[in-house]
Amino acid sequence: MAPTWEQVVREHSARVYRLAYRLSGNQQDAEDLTQETFVRVFRSLADFSPGTFEGWLHRITTNLFLDMVRRRQRIRFDALPEDTERLPGTSPSPEQVYTDTHLDPQVQAALDALSPEFRVAVVLCDIEGLTYEEIAATLGIKLGTVRSRIHRGRVQLREALAHLAPRRGADAEASTR
Amino acid sequence: MSIPESHLAQEAIAALVDGELSGGAAGRAARHLAGCLQCRLAVSAQREAKAALQVPEDVAVPGDLMSRLRAIPFTAEMSPGGPTASLEVGADGLTATGPRGAFSFPLAAPASPAPRPGQARWLRRGMTGALIGLGVGVVVLAVSLPSGDLPVDDATSPVANAVRHPVPDDERTEIVPPVVRTLTVGSTAPLPSGGTP
Repeated sequence: MAPTWEQVVREHSARVYRLAYRLSGNQQDAEDLTQETFVRVFRSLADFSPGTFEGWLHRITTNLFLDMVRRRQRIRFDALPEDTERLPGTSPSPEQVYTDTHLDPQVQAALDALSPEFRVAVVLCDIEGLTYEEIAATLGIKLGTVRSRIHRGRVQLREALAHLAPRRGADAEASTR
Repeated sequence: MSIPESHLAQEAIAALVDGELSGGAAGRAARHLAGCLQCRLAVSAQREAKAALQVPEDVAVPGDLMSRLRAIPFTAEMSPGGPTASLEVGADGLTATGPRGAFSFPLAAPASPAPRPGQARWLRRGMTGALIGLGVGVVVLAVSLPSGDLPVDDATSPVANAVRHPVPDDERTEIVPPVVRTLTVGSTAPLPSGGTP
């Protein structure tokens, strides 16, 4: 009755993919992050120390995401100004976001607007339902840092939503004329 | 009832919304909120942001991603520095010794009749299954490759050899060139089974 790799994948892929999508905001990156997470899991099965498997997956996925963001920031920093247009503009259409994730595209856009460190804390708390202690362990930061990142992340999220929402109101108004 | 003078710290506001304040602190916060509109607004703003992220439905994993994940045991390259851990089968199970110490996977189901609902044990068994399945797969591949029942006239042809290779997943077949494909059609020799656990 021992589960196989197939079962490990079936059991955990949806959670990893959801987290990866919420963090990266697009399907391509979400798929890459998910794939890389499972490759790491496969390679380091022996390193898995007692604890929850979910916690391990969260840690790998979020670290890979933060690595990806830092790598891109470095590229952006190094790139010549005229090259920036060629950097992957990976924002999917709002319809695509909804089809992929069932998350209001404006909410995903607001999430994407957060700085990566805040986004990770907020997503782990409000979407993955982790406790502050679990988030602190996942990210290797202090409890006080978790609290302040979540607070500031939510403040930014709400500002971003308020910034996005008037446009929706204006569109509706325009369409009634 | 006296209202504590100082406003709630930002960290406390987040923690209050998430039920992460201890009993005493939560009580003090509640007393302050009762008399402070400013802090009540800050709390409701946090609640709104939290609520915006609640999604009723789950995300569906794209089908081709699922196939790639399933194929990882066959496609993933192991770490460049060689294996990070050694595996050893003992009386009480499989022991993996890695840089972070030894970790053992029980091979048999634990004798305790009522396992805890926690998943760690289940997963450890899962790892065992994955590792063993993988090991068996590799052995089957290794055994079946050279001794495969090749047709006599084709035995020396490298193309036929390539065809005889067990193909672990569907994606691999895409790499096989069209010429080889036509050879495969005429072949009656069965592919070695058991390559995919």
